Amino acid sequence: MTAARIGELLRTKRIIVCCGAGGVGKTTTAAAISLAAARAGRRVLVLTIDPSKRLAETLGVSRNPPEPVAVPPERQKAAGIAPPATLHAWMLDHKLVADSAVRRLTRSPADAEKVLGNRIYQQVSSMVAGMHEYTAMEALYRLTNSGAYDLVVLDTPPSRHALDFLEAPRRLSRLVDSRALQAFLPRSDGLVSRAASKVIHAILGAVFGDEFATEFVGFVGTFSGIFQSLNIDVNEMRRFLSGDDVAFLLVTSPQPATLTEAHFFQDKTRELELPFRGFVLNRSRALNVDKPLPDAAMLPSPVTPEAQSALDKLQGLARHELELAGRDVALLRDLETRAGANATAIALPELPQGADDMGTLITVADVLSNR
Amino acid sequence: MLVTGKGGVGRSSVTAALAQLARARGRRVLVTEIGDAPEDYSPLARYFGRDRFSVEPQVLEPGLRGVVLLARTGQELFLKSVLRSGTIARAALSSDVLRRLLSAGPSFREMGVFFQLLTYLRAQHADGKPEYELILVDMPATGHTLSLTGLPDLLLKLVPRGPIAESLKEGQAYLNDPTRAAAWLVTLPETLPVSECLELIDGLRKTQVPIGGVMLNRMPVDPFTPAERALLTTALGHRDVLGHESFDRPLLTQRELARLLAGTSLPVYPLPEFAHAGLIGSLKTALETIAPIARSAS
Repeated sequence: MTAARIGELLRTKRIIVCCGAGGVGKTTTAAAISLAAARAGRRVLVLTIDPSKRLAETLGVSRNPPEPVAVPPERQKAAGIAPPATLHAWMLDHKLVADSAVRRLTRSPADAEKVLGNRIYQQVSSMVAGMHEYTAMEALYRLTNSGAYDLVVLDTPPSRHALDFLEAPRRLSRLVDSRALQAFLPRSDGLVSRAASKVIHAILGAVFGDEFATEFVGFVGTFSGIFQSLNIDVNEMRRFLSGDDVAFLLVTSPQPATLTEAHFFQDKTRELELPFRGFVLNRSRALNVDKPLPDAAMLPSPVTPEAQSALDKLQGLARHELELAGRDVALLRDLETRAGANATAIALPELPQGADDMGTLITVADVLSNR
Repeated sequence: MLVTGKGGVGRSSVTAALAQLARARGRRVLVTEIGDAPEDYSPLARYFGRDRFSVEPQVLEPGLRGVVLLARTGQELFLKSVLRSGTIARAALSSDVLRRLLSAGPSFREMGVFFQLLTYLRAQHADGKPEYELILVDMPATGHTLSLTGLPDLLLKLVPRGPIAESLKEGQAYLNDPTRAAAWLVTLPETLPVSECLELIDGLRKTQVPIGGVMLNRMPVDPFTPAERALLTTALGHRDVLGHESFDRPLLTQRELARLLAGTSLPVYPLPEFAHAGLIGSLKTALETIAPIARSAS
């Protein structure tokens, strides 16, 4: 079986998850993949996390809309997206997603306001470890199933480990799973859990003071009720993400640890039975190998000693660039080998930093779809 | 010293070089980083010839110890101090429910890290001076740094009294005292890193952690004289040849440096670009004589 190229993935998959450490250009890559898919005729949504100001403006989400919005029509048209194809974007702000979940899941607006106004909720919704990841999952799940999009591209929260976003919700869901919570809640039945509940109350009381402990335990009950009804069972999420119509990509950049990271990512996706489909090597200087070296022909003749000295220095820099390019070529080859039969590897050129305008995205989108 | 900055800016190598420098000057140093799990691979520990730091301070070299700050270690230390019994603390932590709560609950992870750090700040040596005269914290991502430095303010609003509050206040007193603590930002002379550095400065200001300054890492040296530069600028034009990018780089660097200087009044210290081999030694030597970039009188 030949591995599907990135271009084919973005024409056929329903979900593409872009994973990777912070600072490798993951958000821009996710935007470019979405753009390429929309240009290929699909209805696409990109869920982005912490985009640069420029990218947020390009996508039209700089005002942090409460629901996904279409990229401005004239910009879509200019980018070669023709109806029925569309490109929507949404910035995943965890507070926003959590608030909107509370609104959907409470019985009345008054109830919702009560929860939203709770001072513990306000703090907790931004403090709970895994909240970012949990809300990303929630949004992905809901919007993929909404029927409004052919493809949803997810940019994952930056973390040291590319797949942390799958692990973090598990921590949270283990907390809110009913059995764990019984121990906190005073209405628990059974001698053992009542005893456990007492111990926990005693500890929380000693640590936080009785007043806060009581308030907190009460809150955990309400809050977990809400999150339980979100019905995102992590195992179900795993099944949802392990389907044939999903592709996981690792976005990375050339650095000494890249291969180690790639290896780790592949092992981890295999362990979690997730469909790993490729590496995107950003900021690759591999294409530079084809560039010519500077020579004396470009200097005005006769060549003065000063010009010669300048050229010597320039050639020194050029040789260094060539060496780096050669290294990146080798790295891409290693990644291709590692990708194996079911996945692919693609190199994207280094872009001018902060150039998240539509023109740059189109350039990247072209590289992605031509493969 | 809290050393912070985005991934890829060379934060860990700067932290390692600072540790070596302080040690060479005869101070008892503890170098730390915030970890997610004890078995994690640590790029910082690599600079000390190890795959990772241990969960308790371990001697790396004379006068220099290293440790990984983990939520769980700190939580255990905290419970021990509150419950006044290691056995009960361990029993409490082995409770499945409490473990789940502590791994996901509000700020408990940061709280653990915060308390572990406080434990080392409190430690006294036999000579009456602090056990660790300098504690270096390598702070992973921007978010981590702000959630840790902002922790006392945030939690004190929720829990104004009790043992947690006392520890938070004690830690806050350290972190907000410019004679005892400082955050240092490491960044690169490039567009995004400079923008992010300026944002982080704003964020840190809000949490009232004193900021020592900015280290502008990997400043390229411009090998060309102005005359050579003028000559090559004309000759190169828009030619897509190897070396052109490196030729232009010092100009971009200067532009970003100017933007950084305009965006903050903090001192900005340049660090040159060094080869990977012998990096820590080179950085250490550079740090010995480092001076802030002079600002024009305007």
